[in-house]
Amino acid sequence: MNMNKKIIEIKNVTKIYKIDSLKVNALNGIDLEIDNGEFLSIMGPSGSGKSTLMNILGCLDIPTSGSYLLEDEDVSKLNDNQLAEIRNKKVGFVFQTFNLLSRTNITGNVELPLIYSKGKKSRSRKDLISEVINSVGLAEWVRHRPNELSGGQRQRVAIARALVNDPAIILADEPTGNLDSRTGEEIMAIFQSLNRQGKTILFVTHEIDLAKHAGRIIYLKDGAITGEEIIKDPIDAQKRLEDMPKLEDKINSLGENISL
Amino acid sequence: MRRILENIKIAFKSLALNKLRSFLTMLGIIIGVGSVVAVMSIGAGAEASITENIQSMGTNTITITPGREQVSMGGREVSAESIGGAQTGTDLMEQRRNFINGFTENEDEEISAGELHLEDVEALKEEASLLEEIVPVLTGGGSTFSYMNWTGSVNITATSEDYLNFAGYELEKGNFFTADDVSNSSNTVVLGYNVVTDYFGKANPIGENVKINGKKFTVTGILKSVGYTFGMSADNSIYIPITTAQNKLYGIDTVNQITAKVTSEEVIDEAIAEAKTIMRIQHHILPGGNSDFEISSSAQLLEMASSVTDIMVILLSSIAAISLLVGGIGIMNIMFVSVTERTREIGIRKAIGAKNRDIMIQFITESIVLSLSGGIIGIGFAVLITGVLGAFTTLSSPITASPVIMALSFSTAIGLIFGIFPAMRAARLNPIESLRHE
Repeated sequence: MNMNKKIIEIKNVTKIYKIDSLKVNALNGIDLEIDNGEFLSIMGPSGSGKSTLMNILGCLDIPTSGSYLLEDEDVSKLNDNQLAEIRNKKVGFVFQTFNLLSRTNITGNVELPLIYSKGKKSRSRKDLISEVINSVGLAEWVRHRPNELSGGQRQRVAIARALVNDPAIILADEPTGNLDSRTGEEIMAIFQSLNRQGKTILFVTHEIDLAKHAGRIIYLKDGAITGEEIIKDPIDAQKRLEDMPKLEDKINSLGENISL
Repeated sequence: MRRILENIKIAFKSLALNKLRSFLTMLGIIIGVGSVVAVMSIGAGAEASITENIQSMGTNTITITPGREQVSMGGREVSAESIGGAQTGTDLMEQRRNFINGFTENEDEEISAGELHLEDVEALKEEASLLEEIVPVLTGGGSTFSYMNWTGSVNITATSEDYLNFAGYELEKGNFFTADDVSNSSNTVVLGYNVVTDYFGKANPIGENVKINGKKFTVTGILKSVGYTFGMSADNSIYIPITTAQNKLYGIDTVNQITAKVTSEEVIDEAIAEAKTIMRIQHHILPGGNSDFEISSSAQLLEMASSVTDIMVILLSSIAAISLLVGGIGIMNIMFVSVTERTREIGIRKAIGAKNRDIMIQFITESIVLSLSGGIIGIGFAVLITGVLGAFTTLSSPITASPVIMALSFSTAIGLIFGIFPAMRAARLNPIESLRHE
């Protein structure tokens, strides 16, 4: 596959919310191109239109005007059911709050996108599920439910779920927001590893330190793109993890100090 | 197909999560289905047993009872003409004409409920060509019966010597009373099976003296057990000559009813018309006047009994159906609650690619599973009720396929109908807002 092929092309996208007679311009003419295999960060303060842009990119919503080509297919004017199908096949979501089904075990959660997609025999389904669960390192936890897992583990389940249908893009909306810094770094390491395997990843954050894990950063403010930055030397999450003292080591050293 | 199984699995999981709530929701359906199925089965059982009882008496019996004949709005007789008056024997018609000529025009036509006498029986025996085994019956409930020191209450059936053949009873021991006994008003009595076991146990009652309302009677025979008719057993009755009852016990000269067998089932209408003519002559009733007696056939009785049970079943089933409706509303209510509770789940499913239809099917499946489970438990409940009823009474009411199929389709339909609105609300939820829902 050509690495430079455009996977997303957005031209002059606007989104206007009407609240009673009041019109709110959430997006004011956004132009954005994303290459296949890119790792892109979108940064912006609250109210900058980040969420609205994510919803449109993730096909949860359609723009008021402008065009959106996802893998050369115009998805800006599809109806609910067509959007659902695009989401199922081409988008993998990773949310800040994980959004797993709490009553369903890990296998069931990862299987969810497959339930809503046609075809795929159950044999290959099973293989596929265990494959993605292994790839995020949760093979021993398949029978457990989300509430029996740590935050980091839950986010890994969400990543496995996002991967299972082999989507065109992975949309990660502040995926480390609910995690401590070390666990967050572990999640970033997974994204970087997926990106190295050729996955296109869109990463929304408001922390520059996290945004710099990507190859390019887009700055968003008041519904418009205000700047763009190419990161020549992105932060290597794996390397950072090696430098970071483990929490237990910290606690141990703290304990020694007190006992003295 | 796999999708459906998946949905059923999801439905059971989410219902199991709120076991008590699911059960309470189902309760309306359980009670509704249970009572509908039980009522229908009991009704069918009762009808079957009534039919069987009437048929065991033979479908070719007619019964004459005192009472005013029903007239139509115009005052014209209904049944006399409609029941084949034209086929009446010509000699009878002549008799009737002669008899009518003997009366003046001014004869009072107002006829109160008449009385039946033994003379009527004699007249029928004499004149009727299509009737046989014509027997008068005089019944008295709650008469005092005593043997030695034991005293109790029994039903008296006072009748003629032909009753044994007419009713098709068989003697266990001894003899039924004879024509002589009837004409002599002799104090003889034949005992029903239960009376024998109650008062004599294993002893032989033949030839023993008993007291009925203080009068001394001699036991001449005992009957074999015959079981129940209309919930009453002939086994609890004692049988005495009708003249004895009239003269010595009650001091009256009337009888309650006259029953007879028609020579063959084909001529039942003609036989009724013939009996009617004879009785009208016997009772001096003018043409156009209302009869002071009624004649019914066992076929009519059968029809009436089945229509009565039908009405009862319809009535009770409609009351039970209201419970189904209430149960359905309960399901709708709980499904709305469930949709609200699971808004976030719906958002997740939609974000991941569930179409509106998928969500709709998921929730409708859940409500059908809820309702249908209630229906199945309800059927079990009905089996229990009819089983208990069958164990403690003689009414056997096996659960047949038709009420079960009806109950299952009804509860499926209820799940579908009352699940549609909540499911539609779930399907229409906006995924973005649903994901934000706490």
